[in-house]
Order: sequence, then structure tokens, then C-alpha cells
Amino acid sequence: MTYLIFFIAAIGTLAGAIGVIALKDPFYCVLALVVHLISLAVLFMLLRAEFVAAAQVVVYAGAVMVLYIFVVSYIGGQNLSGSAGPGRAGTLAAFACAGALVAELFIAVLGTGLKAVGTGGAHVAAGFGNPESIGTLFLTKFLAPFEIASYLLLLAAVGAVTLARRRGGLDDGIEQRAPRISVAEFMSARPYYTGTQHETLGRPESLPEPTQR
Amino acid sequence: MIAAALIHPHGPYIDWAALSPLVALVGGSVVVLMVGLLRSRFARTQVVPFLTLVSLGVTIGFVIWQWHRHVAAISGALAFDQLTGTITLLVAAGGIAATLLSWRGQAPRESAHGDFYSMMLGSITGMVVLVAAQNLVTLFVGLELLSIPLYVLCATEMHRAASLEAGLKYLIVGSVGSATLVYGLALIYGATGSTDFSGIAGSISQGHSSDVLLLTGIALLTVGLAFKASIAPFHQWTPDVYEGAPTPVTAFMAVATKAAAFGVLLRVFDVMLPAEHLNWRPALLVLAAISIVVGNVGALGQSSLKRLLGYSSVAQAGYILAGVAVATTLGARATILYLVVYLLMNIAAFGAIVARERMTPYGDDFDAVAGLGAEDPWLAWPLTIAMLALAGVPATAGFIGKFFLIDALVGAGYTWLAILIVVGSMISLGYYLRVINAVWMRSAPGPSASAAAGVPVIAGGSPEADALGQTHIELRFAAVVFGGATVFFGIVPQPLFDLAQHAANTLSGAL
Repeated sequence: MTYLIFFIAAIGTLAGAIGVIALKDPFYCVLALVVHLISLAVLFMLLRAEFVAAAQVVVYAGAVMVLYIFVVSYIGGQNLSGSAGPGRAGTLAAFACAGALVAELFIAVLGTGLKAVGTGGAHVAAGFGNPESIGTLFLTKFLAPFEIASYLLLLAAVGAVTLARRRGGLDDGIEQRAPRISVAEFMSARPYYTGTQHETLGRPESLPEPTQR
Repeated sequence: MIAAALIHPHGPYIDWAALSPLVALVGGSVVVLMVGLLRSRFARTQVVPFLTLVSLGVTIGFVIWQWHRHVAAISGALAFDQLTGTITLLVAAGGIAATLLSWRGQAPRESAHGDFYSMMLGSITGMVVLVAAQNLVTLFVGLELLSIPLYVLCATEMHRAASLEAGLKYLIVGSVGSATLVYGLALIYGATGSTDFSGIAGSISQGHSSDVLLLTGIALLTVGLAFKASIAPFHQWTPDVYEGAPTPVTAFMAVATKAAAFGVLLRVFDVMLPAEHLNWRPALLVLAAISIVVGNVGALGQSSLKRLLGYSSVAQAGYILAGVAVATTLGARATILYLVVYLLMNIAAFGAIVARERMTPYGDDFDAVAGLGAEDPWLAWPLTIAMLALAGVPATAGFIGKFFLIDALVGAGYTWLAILIVVGSMISLGYYLRVINAVWMRSAPGPSASAAAGVPVIAGGSPEADALGQTHIELRFAAVVFGGATVFFGIVPQPLFDLAQHAANTLSGAL
């Protein structure tokens, strides 16, 4: 049974990966990537890494892929096959480098990995890879990278905002466009006739005249 | 016992004193980010860079306070020893210089001052984490923390397409480098069964040496770090990104990223993988040789000063890598010494280039520095000294750095690479002297040439043109101080020797 699942998942992984780069329509590329990521999650399950498998489905096959689909929906449909690709020599060189890398990885994996094929694999302690043990590791041995990663996320958000703003810094934004609001105004009740349900259903004549802000 | 540990996990002991440089950097970046949101223009344009300088200064102070301690902090994830301390001093000095160079520049204004300086401090934090890392996970997180803010910083002059292109190019190439690196880390973990540097070193010495899986992992790890250190043939992004990025960011990338990348190369090869040195040493020596040739030959035909310094940085990376490759304590010492020297001479050069970019309409073209000697000796001399030092002329710190590298190479029996360094330095005179020629021999281009440069000087025509002609005291200060230091340490190198010796002695694995 394990073997059957392994081979199905492995075929799915490879087919999905090939589909990502081989398909023309970017939308199908994204779907192929989903197939790839879910098959990868199955492989993680077989390795008893339940948490990683779940994270793979939730984060990558779920959240990240939705983002990709949004991006493809926004900018897709254009002719993405740009004419300014590398020349023939460049393509050949790229294939040669990729081939060399594949050969190197095959040598590496075949050179050591196959020694373990006939065995049951490395011994895995009970509870290995479940959320609890991963959480414990995050708070003990890997506390430093865990905390640094949260700081990295903060900076990535700052960087994303910086790039998305793209309107010449804060100088123009704050001082010229936005009206000045004092703290008292900010803390006061909302202005009248701003379309709330209370105004719609209530008797408008009982409301005072809107004040000049 | 494992079950008990699972139920009641105890957080590791946190040595705040040892962590204080990191705390100063992270805290500084958050404070800067918040102050950058204040309404007052003065707070944003003046207080934010000032607080950045304060944060970096406090970091340097903490490093000096903790100088003689060797601490493995937070479950041994980060090592605060003298190598980390030295590299922290270097990247903080690079950060101070970059802050001075961008104080009244275009890039922080366009990307909001708080964001700009906060990301710079974040990148410096990543560099410290990277060099202090003691396991593979921390190493990767540190590398990403170094890189991601830098990608954005490269794109901060948003009205220029070249700056955006530089950011995108660096992002893509950097991501390929990161992916290669993490693949290598996975293979190393698979081969040795440990993520700690000490565990990996122990596993290798217990008979896993020359394992193909491990060697492939080391190769991919080397490639990933070579992308960051811009070692040929993984340097293609360097000239383009150096040219496109805002010049203060280029200066920061040149000196600080390089210091961090070579710090971690020293750590990885001399602490984690010393037992494999017979296998990785030839590869690193060949990479160093390729870098020296490609960088020096590539720089010859450049007409942009930033591109020229980009290729020059590839060549210099080759020199520095030679120090790592010999895998001796002497080599590590020469590497660190050269990193310090490299910082001094590059900041002097970039200070002068940034000043000329703001004073003339020629950007970073050779025309920008033509006639500088007669016009402004306070900028001309630092630039001249920097170029001479980069070429390795005696009585500058560049000579001391190269001398030690060659000494280490010859001592380890790699005379051929030492000869290549000398030949590379001779070729490099071909382009460094062109800059000096433009500074002293050529006359400043006439006013008619400004129209030919394609930037009409009309008020309001372009944001730079309005600021043209201003002389900024902090640029002059940075150029003169670092240029002066280049000469000073060329004549009195003993303080640098002591620093490099302290740092190199913490590398237990070096031969």
C-alpha cells in the first residue's frame, strides 16, 4: 500500500513539476503547481512529517496558490511568451548546466542513498514531526531562528509596502493630500449622514443638522 | 525523559549581554520605522538618519563591551565571539557610511525615510546573524534577513527604471542563490544527520568524509554563498545591480554584504567543514582564480564608475576568497584584514562618487569626476587614494592587505595563485589609473556638454537637477575620513593586524 501511494505521489510530483514549465497557458501552469504541491504533501505524509504535510497543503497549495491565481487572473491573457528570450547558445548553455546539475545530483543520491533502500529507513522516534514536537523545538533549540524569522516577516512587510506605495515617499502623501485631523476630531463621533443603517431607518428630521467639519 | 521534555519544555537561557549588539540593531530598526511615521518633516529627514547612526554606534559600543567573551547564545544557535564581533564592527561601519551617504539623497526621500533606514538596519541584523550562525537553520534565516531588505533597497529610487530593474534582477538572481544554498544545506543534513556546525564537523571526522552526498551539498552551499559574495562565475548580476541601485545602497552592498558573506564562508569552511579541506580547497582556489581574471578584465572597458567598481568588487572577491581557500589561520587572518581594508577604500571612493553625482549632471560617468583635482581637492584626494589602494599601491592599506594575502598563499604553497593576484593587480592599474587620469589630467567638461548628457538642467525638470551643485558636508566627511584611514593604516597597520589576529584565532578548525 505504501509503495502504491508512493509511486502515485511521485508520478504526480514529477508530472506537476514538468507541467509548470511545459504548459503554455499560465493558468494551467498554476494548476500543475497545485498538483505538484499536493503530491509533495503526500510524500511528506509517507515520511511521517504530518505537520510539514499539513503546512504544505494549507500554506502553499492553499494560500500561496490563491495568490498566484489572483496574479494570473490580473495580468494573464497577455502574451507572456516574450520574444526577448536568450539566444540559441544561451538556451543550449542553460540545458547543459541543468543537465550537469541533474547528473551531479544523481551521482550524489545514487552514491549514498541506495545503501538504505533495502532497509526500513532511518529509525523514527514516536511523535517525530508532529506539531507538538515541532513547537517544542521552535521554543527551545531553534528559538533564535524562530524569532529572527518573525523579524524577517516584519521587514518583508515593510519592504512590500515600500514597493507598493511607489508614489515618492511620504513627503507628498502626508503633507499635501491628506487633510490635517486633530486628535479631538479623530476621537469625536462620526459625522452625520454617512450612510449608516440608523440614519436610514430612523427619523432623519430628529437628527441635528450636520456640523461643518 | 524525552516525554517529560515535551510536556514541560524549558526555554533556553538567554544571555542578553551577549545578544546586546543584535538587540540594539533590531530595536533601532523598529524605533526608526516608528519615527519615520511622524508628521514633522524634520523628524523624518533628520531625526531618522540620526537615530540610525545612534543605533549603529550603540551596536559598536556593545561589541566592544563584549569583546573578550565567547558565548554560544540561545541554545548554541548564535556564537558571539571575536569573528562575529569583527564582522559586526565592519558591517556597522559600512552602515554608518551608507547612512551618511544617503542622508540627503534621493532614495530615502522616495521610499520614505523610516522604511529605508529600517530596512538597512534589518539587513545589518541579518549580516550579524549570518556570521554568528552555528547551525544550518540560523544560517539560512540570517541569509534571507540579509537579502530581502537589500532587494527592496536596490529598488528605492523608484522614478528610475534602472533602479527597479536592479531590484528585480537582484531578487531573481538572489533567489536562485538562496534556493541553491538551501538545497545544499538539505543535502549536508541528509549526509551527516545534524544541523549544528559542531555536529556536522563531528560526523565528518567520524568517517563520513568524502561522501558524495556531502560533497554535493558542500558544492551547492558554496555556489549559494558565491552568489552573495559575487564570486565569478556567479557574478553576472553584480555590475548591473551596482549600476542600477541607488549609489549609497551600492556602497553598502559592496562593503557590508561582502564582509558578511566572507565571514560566513570562513565560519562554514573553517568550523563546519575543516575535515573536508582536501576536497573543497581546489574548488575554492579555482573560483578565486576565475574571479580575479574575470573581474579585472571585465572592468577594463567600463565607462560608468559604479560598473567599474562592480567588476572591481568581483576581482577583489577573488583576492579575498584566496585567503579563505588556503584554510590556514594565516589565510583567515589575511581574509579579515583585507575585508577591513576593502571597507575603507570602497567607502572613500563611493563617498566621492555620490558627492559628484549630486554636484554634476553626469551621474556616475567618468565625466562626473573629470577635472575634480583642480575643482575640489577634498574629494579628489580620497578618490585618488581609494583607487591607488584598490590597485594595491604601497603606503596605502590596500598594499598591506594584498601583501598578507600573498604571504598566506605562498606560505601554504600556492605560489601560482599569488602570482595571479599580482598579475591581476597589474591589470587593474589599467582601469584604476583611468579614473585618476580623469580626476587630475582632464579638464571639467564645459557647460555645453550638459545638454549632450541628456539631462537638461531645468528647475523642476528632474528631481536631481534641482539639487545639482549642492555640496554636502557629510559626503566630504565620509570620503576624507575613510580615505585618511586608508593611508593611516597603510603606514601604521599594527591595529589591523591585532584585530585580524583576534578574529582569526576563534576559528578553531583552521590548519
